[in-house]
This record gives sequence, structure tokens and C-alpha cells, in this order.
Amino acid sequence: MEPNAESEALSLIAGYGDRADVDAPPMGLRRMVVLAWRTWPYIRPMLLHLIGLVAVMLAGGLTGLVGAFVGVDLFANKVLVGEKLQPLQATVLFVGEEYVTTDPVKLAVEDDTAGDEDATIEPDLTKAQRRTVRNRLVIWGIVGAVFATAVGYVFWYYSTWIWQSINQNLRVAMIERAESLSLKFHDSSRVGDAIFRVYQDSAMIVNLIQSAIFSPLTTLYGLLTGIVIVAAFDPWFALLVLMVGIPTAYVIVKSTPRVRRRALANRVANSRLTSRIQEAFGAIKVVKANRAERRIFDQFDEDSKAALDAAYFLRLDMVLVTLVVAVLGTGLVIVSEYIMVGFVIENRETFAGALLAGFVGFVVWNYGAVQIAGRFVGNLSGSARGLLGIWMRMQDLFIALERAFYLLDLEPEITDPDDPVPFPAPVEDVAWRAVHFGYDADKVVLAGVDLEARVGTVTAIVGGTGAGKSTLMSLLLRLYDPGAGTVSVNGVDIRHMAVSDLRSNVGIALQKNVLFAATVAENIAFGTPDADRAAVEAAAGVACADEFIRAMADGYDTELGERGGKLSSGQRQRLSIARAVVRDTPVLILDEPTASLDARTEQRVLRNLAEWGRGRVIFLITHRLSTIRNADRIALVEDGRIVEHGTHDELMAGVAGRYRAFVDAETTGRAAA
Amino acid sequence: MTETLATPARAAPSRNGGQSKTLALLKEVLGRNRFDDRIDTQPDVTTAQALGVIGRSIRLIAEAKGLFAAKVAFGFVAVFPALFLPWMAKILVDNAILGQPFGITAVSYPPFMDPILGAVYGRDPLGIAMVLMVIYFALLIVFGGRSGATGAGLLEGRDAATQAENQISGGLSRVGGVWGLAEFMVHVRLTQTLSNRLRARLFDRLTHLPMTVLDDQRAGDSVYRVLYDTPMAPDLAYRVTSEPFFMLLGAALNLYILQYSYGEVSPELVWVAWAAVPIAFITTFPFSGALRRTNQNKRAAGSATTNAMEESMSSIAAVQSLGAGEQEKARFAERSQESFLRERYSIAVIIVAASVAGAVGGIAAIYVTILVSDRIIDGVMTVGDFAVLIGVYYGIAEPAGYFGAIWIKLQETVAAARRVFFFADYESDETRQGGRPLARVTEGVRMRTVGFAYPDGHRALTGVNLDLRVGELVALVGPTGAGKTTLAYLIPALLRPTSGRVLVDGVDAGDIDLDALRRQVTYVFQEHLLLPESIRENLELANPEASEERMMAALETAGCMDFIAQLPDGIDTVLGRSGDTLSVGQQQRLSIARGLLRDSSILILDEPTAALDPQTENQLVASLHQAAEDRLVVVIAHRLSTIRNADRIVFLDEGRVRDIGSHDELMADRASAYREFVELQGGETQES
Repeated sequence: MEPNAESEALSLIAGYGDRADVDAPPMGLRRMVVLAWRTWPYIRPMLLHLIGLVAVMLAGGLTGLVGAFVGVDLFANKVLVGEKLQPLQATVLFVGEEYVTTDPVKLAVEDDTAGDEDATIEPDLTKAQRRTVRNRLVIWGIVGAVFATAVGYVFWYYSTWIWQSINQNLRVAMIERAESLSLKFHDSSRVGDAIFRVYQDSAMIVNLIQSAIFSPLTTLYGLLTGIVIVAAFDPWFALLVLMVGIPTAYVIVKSTPRVRRRALANRVANSRLTSRIQEAFGAIKVVKANRAERRIFDQFDEDSKAALDAAYFLRLDMVLVTLVVAVLGTGLVIVSEYIMVGFVIENRETFAGALLAGFVGFVVWNYGAVQIAGRFVGNLSGSARGLLGIWMRMQDLFIALERAFYLLDLEPEITDPDDPVPFPAPVEDVAWRAVHFGYDADKVVLAGVDLEARVGTVTAIVGGTGAGKSTLMSLLLRLYDPGAGTVSVNGVDIRHMAVSDLRSNVGIALQKNVLFAATVAENIAFGTPDADRAAVEAAAGVACADEFIRAMADGYDTELGERGGKLSSGQRQRLSIARAVVRDTPVLILDEPTASLDARTEQRVLRNLAEWGRGRVIFLITHRLSTIRNADRIALVEDGRIVEHGTHDELMAGVAGRYRAFVDAETTGRAAA
Repeated sequence: MTETLATPARAAPSRNGGQSKTLALLKEVLGRNRFDDRIDTQPDVTTAQALGVIGRSIRLIAEAKGLFAAKVAFGFVAVFPALFLPWMAKILVDNAILGQPFGITAVSYPPFMDPILGAVYGRDPLGIAMVLMVIYFALLIVFGGRSGATGAGLLEGRDAATQAENQISGGLSRVGGVWGLAEFMVHVRLTQTLSNRLRARLFDRLTHLPMTVLDDQRAGDSVYRVLYDTPMAPDLAYRVTSEPFFMLLGAALNLYILQYSYGEVSPELVWVAWAAVPIAFITTFPFSGALRRTNQNKRAAGSATTNAMEESMSSIAAVQSLGAGEQEKARFAERSQESFLRERYSIAVIIVAASVAGAVGGIAAIYVTILVSDRIIDGVMTVGDFAVLIGVYYGIAEPAGYFGAIWIKLQETVAAARRVFFFADYESDETRQGGRPLARVTEGVRMRTVGFAYPDGHRALTGVNLDLRVGELVALVGPTGAGKTTLAYLIPALLRPTSGRVLVDGVDAGDIDLDALRRQVTYVFQEHLLLPESIRENLELANPEASEERMMAALETAGCMDFIAQLPDGIDTVLGRSGDTLSVGQQQRLSIARGLLRDSSILILDEPTAALDPQTENQLVASLHQAAEDRLVVVIAHRLSTIRNADRIVFLDEGRVRDIGSHDELMADRASAYREFVELQGGETQES
């Protein structure tokens, strides 16, 4: 299997110097705090569980610590060395008095693991006793290991569940917002970007508490205690540590905006790639028919490489900064060892050693002092590196949250009024009054439309392509709000009604017959989930779809395939009409309902609709004369205005004759201009 | 729509209390449930198939041989610096800090320490410390000695999709310094190259699926597979080649130390450590099927979530205007919830398998503890030996544990890789290369007893015989669902007849090179699909070499100029999502312009005029006539004004050709189905 198209290799350094084509967002500490705070509503529902999680963590840690202490003492001092047991140890191991120590010193200082020379005065445990202790300890070890493992696994599952639930809360909130944003937003944004934000960016919330709160706090704590202890040994030493801290801090501060920019570039590039794939498969038919697979592939390949480069360069920057800090920190450890060797040789006094001489022997620099001080210098260096790692990952984390909240911060233009008026019933009339609208300020689509339709009538909206017919109707659904003027039902401005109430009272069959990859029945009941099968079938009957649906393999339960791809467009159109009909709304809009229907079906559908539409307000957008002629009223839209309005006969007799010209063009098949 | 997520296991009633409840839960966790897949419906993998998937993944490495070799070489060298560090620490403590002379302890340094010992021998403590400091610094700069590994994994979420990014670009070197940096760079580029190759190939293959398959392939699923499943295959390749190599190397080094210092007990320790390998393998093996299953499920559920999101975002206008926002939100929420649940199910199986493997390792560790402590109790060994021996034991047991669990750990990746290879291997006519060339269609298209049935059994065409000649404008007419579009799809081989033959210039369309055939056939769809790029780019999709003049001419013919002139950037205006910034009629005109721009011998327009106003329609039909002078133009239409201008009309009904002839001929025939159709369509008497 040789692939048709092959991607070229990626370079190790080419492109690294190119500046990422995004600007680092302003992301100060304050913004981070704000973003973290804003995740609260999604975390709060799981708060009790989070507290439970922390409790399990602490309890587990404590139990482990105590267990390890006692276990090490028992194994090292008692089994391997042969000392006698503490009373409590004997109790838990179920061994007799003969195992227990009588040495008062040992009884006073429990669990002192350091082998004390005096204790060996009393007789040791016999070999057989040591074996008994060992065997019982092993049994306890097994019990402890099983318990710890079980708790660990439960903890894993439980914490996964908690964080997934928090992620789910955020995801759903984002989807809800995305779905309520006006079409103006959706027209100019990419589907893949929304997918990326909801899917990838939102997921970072699960790391928030661990990475932005716990880890920095613990490493900061390590850093501070380290400095204090090192200073206790030698203040000059602490000064040296702080001096290494200066270039380290400089490198971190300098590189942060760069890492941030790279993190954003990585997310943007991957979002673009997601969009590219989504768009390719969303329009795959055109791609195939134009044999444009190669072209689409090249675009994909370019985006794919851009995404990989962005991911690579982000990490390269992170690694470079870490490398510099690691050399500085470990260099400090190495230099301090050399200095300490000097201290030991000259028997130098430690700074605070004399104060603590009562219980630790570090008055002068000796082997133990080097061990302890060296370990803390190492810890300091390690903490600094850890903090740097967390800091850089936090940049990516907050960039992601910023992108997630960008979506949540978009205010839907179409909002419910504070005190919504219910949709009037029964409906008497629908009216547009002096309505102006433009998608952009400089592109006027509607310029003062006045139109009224009364209940029980069918109004045909007629006009040239791009005249604004569909836009006019979408205002009635509040897919957009007019720039000026009002749309009203029974004289009530629809902006005073709740959006969901309005949309559940206005049905529409769209010009683009959007179907979903689901069954026929589900597609018809889309938007009316509680419609029962009888209602679905009745609606299909009105749309003359019942017949072909029943002829399909599984009837109403037939799967329609991606975007309803398995149907002819006439069939899709009828499903679309059935979908509008099943909603049983007092106002119905049919956008080019019959464009893809043959004449016979068209006539039947129109007859059914006329029958069904008694007591409703129906709008038809159409070019077909046979459809237009059946309407009660006809409104001719030109240049964003209603230029003629009346019955077919009235308009045919009209003086201006624009409608007549339109009809002539349709019937004679000649350009009439 | 929610029923598509039907999970039969969940519906199972739990009548007989505990036992059947447990059974139902097991079924729920391990059951193969139906998500959104309609093509890839048999995701189960047998052990043999799993081995096949692993083999396929290993072969991927061949595509980045250089990087892989470099990675292994870097990694190999990086193993050794760590060997020096403990011995150097010993010199620092014994001879510098404690100031002891050399040679007072019995421990013999390994031979590789000779150069360093030579350098420090005979110096005073401070001198020794200085030499060591210099060596430490050299090691630090080159190998990051004492500063740890190099890696830059980003934070990730609790689902497979968000973990994919690190899988591709994580990168790791076990050392730091310049060496670690170089190894890290090679590693990232290696996994990226392999992932990129694979996802590019998968993408390419998916775009070449036959139309009947693409109808069932969800866009969200394609996104998921290309982006989130592909990284697992290189991961798999890495896990069965480089990783075991270094594990073995680590085990060998530890064995060497063991043999060198503790030859007496070593045979038994080694024996115990490696006995764990087959035992861990045998005990975890039964879980491999369950692990593959749960991982298939979690990825299928992730795909389903992506589908839900992709679908409602792509069709947002419909969602909003039908008031389905709540419903769509609920659908997404349910699927997202389900996919998270499936992630947890796979974790549950991992927990069970890991417990078993952990128990095996634990028992071995207990045995070793008893063995060594017995010797200490008996006084054969000292207390100090215990820590060293246990350390060495884990040095061997860790790689042993790795090999014992390697199979079970691979299963997660096998599940993902299978999802990739399923479509990467999907063979179709579309992917076939070669075939007869076709420079230009000079005669036309002939259909001989052509029948077509969809995979679900629906019969769309029966016994179609048809001659379509270059120089004609042919209208395909008929009731909805008559098979017009299916018939037209056969010409560019978007579909292939299930019986009979389609001949282009006398050659079976199936034998013609697909690129050449599609270059000669332009198809303008009913759904006017535009890409969210500029108008110019949308046109270039059809003909990348088209000159500015020709573009303008095509736009003019299709009646696009009046609205393009009003756009802020004219022809370079970027269209919104699937062209939605334009009205449907404008989108349709643009699609037609795109069709006209392609200089092909056959032009098929599927309902080109449905959304056009009469004026534009008439212009278009006139220009189609012009175009038909040296090519074949096929128009599928309902509008009389379009149909009647055709040279010939083919009237289809229920998948059969009923009438063929010009408008006047067919109208003159009182019995023709076409005449009846026309009378209904006009609903009027004033036609010519």
C-alpha cells in the first residue's frame, strides 16, 4: 500500500527563529487569579468530593508515614540487628512478653531507629524469634500493601471522576454558550475552533488546583525552608544561593512572555488543524468531484506541520530555559560542595550550630553537616527547577483557560428580556415595521421593510437572489435583531418575549435542508423531542414524505448518514417541511420549500399545507410561479424594501409592473430586464 | 437522536439480586456498545490481529530511520555517565571530606573509574575536591550530570483526546545538558515525524473513501481519528523497540554489578526476578481483550462526543431556528458524560490488571526479602548488605516487571492504532492508481443496462440505457427520488454501477484513471458547498491555473458579479463558515461559477437554478447552451424554464428511463409521462 500523498520530513531547527504569528495575550498574575477564580462555578458542585479527596490524600499519607516508620524500625533494628521489641509492637505482632524490651531508655524514646550502643546490654532476640517477627511483619506488610494499593486505586478512579465531572461542567457551559451565540458570530468563526476550545482548552481546568495552587505552594515552602536552613549553617552560603537566584529569576522573567506566546501559538495552530480537517470532511463531496484531494491534502499537511512546529518550538523553549536554570542550580551544588570541603578542612564553625548544640552535633563543619547542608542546597536547586517547570506549564494552562473563557465571555447579542411577555395566543397578525438590518454596518440588507400578515393567510415572499428574503424571515426568529424598527406579533415586539418561547412558536423549514446523522423519525422530531411517533407520521404525511419513508429499509427508523447524505434533495426537503410541521406552531416559515420538488409532489404538499395552515400565519419564500400563485398575498422584495404587496391578480394588473416582469421571466424563459 | 447511544447492557434488568447485578455491570463495562460508527463496526481485535497491529506500527519506524537511529545512539551513550556518579560521590566523602587516604577500604573500584582515580591520586583533600568539581562541571554541561532528565510534557486532561498532544510532542531524554537537549530534539522530531506521516496518510485515505462510505463516515469521527488516534501508533512502535532495548541494557548493567560484588546470592535473585516475567505475562494476559475492548469503547465514545459537537456547530442555523439549543446541549452533555465514563471503565480494567501484575511482583519481592534477611539473621551477610542487595534486586526486577507487563500495557495503544489502520487500509476503487488515460471526451457517455443499489439494499436505478453526446444540453427530469442524482453520480464515478456498464468514449468508466476522469467531468452539487476561504480560493479549488480573466468570465456568467462588486474585498473576500456570509442563492451562483471554471468536457449541474431568480436563471441557461457547443452539459432540474431549453430531455421515474426527446417532441406525445409532469409544473396555460 503506497500512499498517494506523502508528507516531507520535519527539520530539527528550521523555523525556530520565526516569530510566532500570534501576540502574547496580556497575562499578568492578576489575570491568572481572575481566571482561576472564574473556574469556581464549575468546581463548586464537586467541592465536597474535592474535600473528600484531600482528606483521603492526607489520611493516606499519614498512615503511610507511620507505617513506614514502624515498619523500618521493626525490620532494620529488630529483624536484621536483633533488638527487642517495643510493647506496642509486640501487641500488633501477637508475640509474647519474651520479645519485649525492658530497657527503660528504649521505652522512653519510641521508634528511635538509631542503634543505641547501651541497648545491646540486654539479650538479643534469638534467631528463631527474629524469624517469627520477620514472618509476622511480612504478613503485616502484605496487609498494608494490599490496603495501600486498594486505596491508591480507588483514589485514582475517584479523582478521575471528580476532575472529569468538573471538566464536563465547563464543557457543557461552553457548548450552551456557543449554541446561544447569534449567527453573526458563527458566520465568521470556524467550527474546528469551537471544537478545540470545548475539547482541548477546557480540559486544562482539571490541572488548576494541583498546578496553580498545591504545587507552587509546596515548592515555595521547600525553597523558603531551604534558604533558612542553609543560612543557619552559614549566612555567606545563603548569600551565594541568593546570588545564583538573580540570574535564574532574570532568565525566567525574560522568557515567560516568549513561552506564553509559544503556548498560544501551539493552541492556535492545533485549532487551525482541527478546523482544516473538519472543513475538509464537511465539504468532502465537492473535494471529490473537483478531484481536489491533493489540494486539500497539501493544506492539511501545511497546517499539520505548522501545528507540530508550534508544539516543538514551545517545548524547545521550555527545555532551553530549564537547561540554563539546571546548569545554574546544579553548578551551585557543585561549587558549594567544594567550599564545604574547605570548611571541613579548616574546622570552621557553623553559624547557628552552637545554639543547637544540645541535640545536634553540627557546631563545626563535619561530615554530617556537609551531608545535611548539601542536601538542602540540592533541594533548593531542585525546588527552583520544579517551580520553573510548574510556572511554564501554568502559562499554557492559563492560555488555555483564557481561550475557554473567551467563548464563555462572548455575550449573546440575542438575549431574553428581564421580564418576558408570553407569546400571544391566539395569533392574529405578524408585522414588520420600518425594519432596517445589515450584517455589517456598511452592507445594508433591509432598508425599511413594512409588512403585515394576518392569521389564516399564506404570504409569498418573492424577489431576486440576495434581495434579503431569508434575512427578513430570520428576524422573526430572532436569529438576528433588526438595527432599527420592530418585528411584532399581535402588536407585541418580539424582543419582549423569551427567545425559547418565540422559537417554539415560530416554525421554519430552512432553505438549506440540514439533516443530522440520525434516524428519519429523530430528524423530523428534531427540535420537538417530545413529539410521539403518530405526530411524526402525521407531519410526514402533510409533507408527502410518508410514502418514501415507508419504502426505506427500516421505515422511520432508517439511519440517514452524515448530514443526511443518503437522501435526494427532494426527499431532504420534504423531511425539512415535516420537521417544521410537527412542531405545530401558529407561525410557519417555509424557505424555498418546493425548489427541489417535482411538480406533482409540490402541488400535493402545497394543498396539504393550505389545509393544515388554517388558523396559522404562513410565509413562503419562493421563486416558483406555481407556488406563488397559490399564496393569498405576495410581497415582492427588492433592494431591501417591499416594493409591491398584494394578490397575484392585483400585482399583475399593477402599474409599476415589477412583479409582472418577474412572472414573465419565469414563464417565458427569456431574460426580462 | 439520543437513542443512537443505546447501551443494551444498561437496560438489562437485574432481577436476581447481587449476582445478575454484577453480571450486568460487567457487561456494561466490557460490553461492545454501539456508538456512532457505521463503517468501523467490528472493532474487536484478536490476539493475532493485535500482533499484526504491532508489526504494522514497528514498520512505521522505517519512515524515519535516521531520526530513530540517532535517538537510539543518543540514548545508548546517555546510559553511561550515571555510572560514574556514585563512585565520585564516594571519593568526595571518603577522600575529600573525611580526608582518608586511598586504599584503606576493601571495596575495589570498577575498572572504568581508573582515569578519574589517576587524576585524584596523591592530591590533598582540597585538590581532590577541585578535580572532582571540574569533572562534575564537565558532566553537568555535557550530560546534565546530577541535574536530571530533559522533558517538556504539557499538562493534559482526563481524556484520551487531550493526552494525544503529549504523545506526539512530549519527548524525553534520561540525561540533561547539551546531550539531553540534542536527544530531546531528536526524540520530539521522531515522534512528530511518525505521527505526521501516519495522520497525513490517514487523512489522504479518508478523503479517498467511496461516496457510499463517506455518507456513513462522520466528520467528527474523522477529526478524532486523524488527530487523537494516530499518535498512539508511533507510541506503540517506540514501546516495542527502543524502550525494551534500554530496559535490557539497564538490567544487564545491574547484573554486571551484582555479579561483580555479590556473586554468591546473585543466581537466586536473578532467577526470582526473571521468573516474575512469565508469571506476570500469563496472569495479565486474560485481561488483554477486556483492555482492548474498553479502549475501543472510550475512543468510540470520544468520537461520538466530537460528532455531536461538530454536527451542532456546523448546523447552528438549523439548531437555533428550530429552537433545539437545549436539546443539542443535552445530547452533547450526555455523550461527553458517556465518553468520560468510558475513560473510567478503561481505568477500572487497568486497575484490575495492574493489581494482578503488582501481586506477582510483590510476591517475588517478599521472597527476596525473606531470602536475604535469613542470611543476615544467620550472620552470613552484614546489615549493610541488605540495602545494597535490595537496590540491586530492584534494578533487575524493574525491567523484569516491565517485560512481564509489556503485553498488557500495549493493549491500550493497540486499540487506538487499530482505529487508524482500519481506515488507512480501507481499499476502494478510489485509491486504485493507474487506469487508462483520458485527455478529452470527444463522443460522450453511454450507459448500458445500468443498475445501481445502495449498500443498504435500496435500488435506485434499473436497466438504464442512455446515450449522451458531446455538444448536447441534456436535462434529467423526474419526480423526487427517481434516481436522477444517482444516475449523474455514475458519470464521474462518484458511484459505480452495481450492474451494467458506463462507457465514456466507449471505455468503461471503471477502467479510466480516476484523476483523468474527474478532470474531464465537473459536478456542481445541489448542496452548494463552499469552503471558508476567499472566493478566489474557492474557485481555484476547481482549477488552480485559471487566469483572472477566466475567473471573472465564469463569475459573470453565473451572475455573481453584481454581489461580488458589493463585497468589501471583491473576489478576495473570505467567506464565513461554509460560505454562510452569502445568501443561499449567491452561494449557488458561486458554485456554478466554480463549475464553469473547470475546463472539462462534461459539465453536470444538479438543480443549478432552484434558488436562482428567473433573470439570473435565464442568463445561466443561455450560457450553458453556449458551453454545450463543445461539451456535454447535463442539468438536473425541476423548473420548466430550465428544462425546456434543453436539447434533449431524459425523464426518469422509479429508477427507469421513461421518455427521451426534446421538449416539443415529448409534449406532442399525449401519452408521455413528461407531458403530465409539465402540465402540473406550470399549472397554467400560457406556455408557448
